[in-house]
Amino acid sequence: MILLENVTKSYRTRPALRGISAFVERGEFVFLTGPSGAGKSTLLRLLYRAEVPDSGRIVVSGHDLAAMRRRDVPFFRRRLGVVFQDFKLLRRRTVGENITFVLSLLNLPDKEQERRAYLALRHMGLQHRLSAYPEELSGGEQQRVATARALVQQPDLILADEPTGNLDPERSHELLELFKTINYQGTTVLVATHDRSLIEAHPARTLVLEKGQIVQDGWALGD
Amino acid sequence: MRHGAREVRRQLHESGATGLVAVLLVAVATTWGGALWLVRGWVADTLLARGRPANVVAAVRSAEAAAMVCNALTGSFPDVRCSASRPEDTKEELARWFPELSGVLLGLDAASFPSLLHAEVPMAEAARVSGWLRARGEVTLVENSRDWQGRLEKALSSVLLIGFTLTVALLAGCGVVVLLVVRLLVLEHSDEIAIMRLIGAREREIRLPYLACGALLGLVGGALGVALLFAISFVLKSHGIPVRGVTPLATVVPLLGATVGALGATLGLASLPEEP
Repeated sequence: MILLENVTKSYRTRPALRGISAFVERGEFVFLTGPSGAGKSTLLRLLYRAEVPDSGRIVVSGHDLAAMRRRDVPFFRRRLGVVFQDFKLLRRRTVGENITFVLSLLNLPDKEQERRAYLALRHMGLQHRLSAYPEELSGGEQQRVATARALVQQPDLILADEPTGNLDPERSHELLELFKTINYQGTTVLVATHDRSLIEAHPARTLVLEKGQIVQDGWALGD
Repeated sequence: MRHGAREVRRQLHESGATGLVAVLLVAVATTWGGALWLVRGWVADTLLARGRPANVVAAVRSAEAAAMVCNALTGSFPDVRCSASRPEDTKEELARWFPELSGVLLGLDAASFPSLLHAEVPMAEAARVSGWLRARGEVTLVENSRDWQGRLEKALSSVLLIGFTLTVALLAGCGVVVLLVVRLLVLEHSDEIAIMRLIGAREREIRLPYLACGALLGLVGGALGVALLFAISFVLKSHGIPVRGVTPLATVVPLLGATVGALGATLGLASLPEEP
């Protein structure tokens, strides 16, 4: 599902990723962890092709991202569910419209869009906030709306960047359980988090990034 | 398609007061241009009517000379219809034209007035007939309606040229207003546009609603312009001014408005950078 081969990325002279190689199989659940500035968000941005690597090769769902034509990028992104660290909700649109927007790009009938949006929000316990605007929601609620938007199109791969950053511990574990459920249904899930307690509570393959390099890849977190 | 229609509605709604200004400007510009077109048609049909024969009027020294010149003229130009009037007729006609001077005019000796020769000449021969008359020693003055029409046409052409230039300038102004409307919308939405790209919207899906919004503003303005033109045409006709129908303009004007709007929107969208 995801193949990284000797991927490097620098911002001006500051290296963010240094020769990363990894492979994630279809249907796997993987945590990506490491301290702030380790390169987790950069790696995710490369995976949803918001950026291109300086060198190396990235293949996601059979698409070589460096070689991908610009016009194919939107179609590739429609097959992904991305939960952004800063939510990236459309602030002029209601919660319902934020979710139906991705479905409208797929040209689904209005009724189907509304049905799916309602179900996704109900999954997140936010069905009563359908008509609210993002600014009327708490940080945790916005995070859950962003998650609902990522899940609603039933993607092949979910990339979540600190999805529990604004949630209380109970909600965080609920969200992780939801990701696990989706993963059991065959969706590949990659969650970037610096919350070690979360990883310990939901053991899964974990890639540990430090200073732009993968220093550990396995099921047990080292000290 | 549904997505596009929804997005266009949203952009139209968000264009708000500035969008309304753009619509009104397009309406004013197209009404102005259309009204000029109506005036131009009226001038061509009524004042310049080139299909009609030209009138040549010549002042001749005496009634006898006028009758003689008239005979000679119809002999040389068989298509010309000629009539001669006596000095008394000239005096009475002038008195009818200038009623406030009629007392003075009618009191004057008829010998103070020339005999007049009236000729109805096919338009193509007006210049030749005038030249023929001027060459006659008995004829003291020749005026020809074709020359007057020519002078009138020249003056009106200048006025219409200025009017149509103003229309083009107004339409360019409308384009600039639409450009600003779209640029403001794009600037205001720049963060949302970046998010839309990240969640899979294509450039086309992002840009087309703005383009359609600009074109629709122009189209609505043009349609409003046509409605105003119908009203103007109705008022003119009810005052006995036989202007041409507005119907041919009913399609052209809204399309022109839409084109101006679309052009403005295209230029406004130039400020939206493509995703790197």
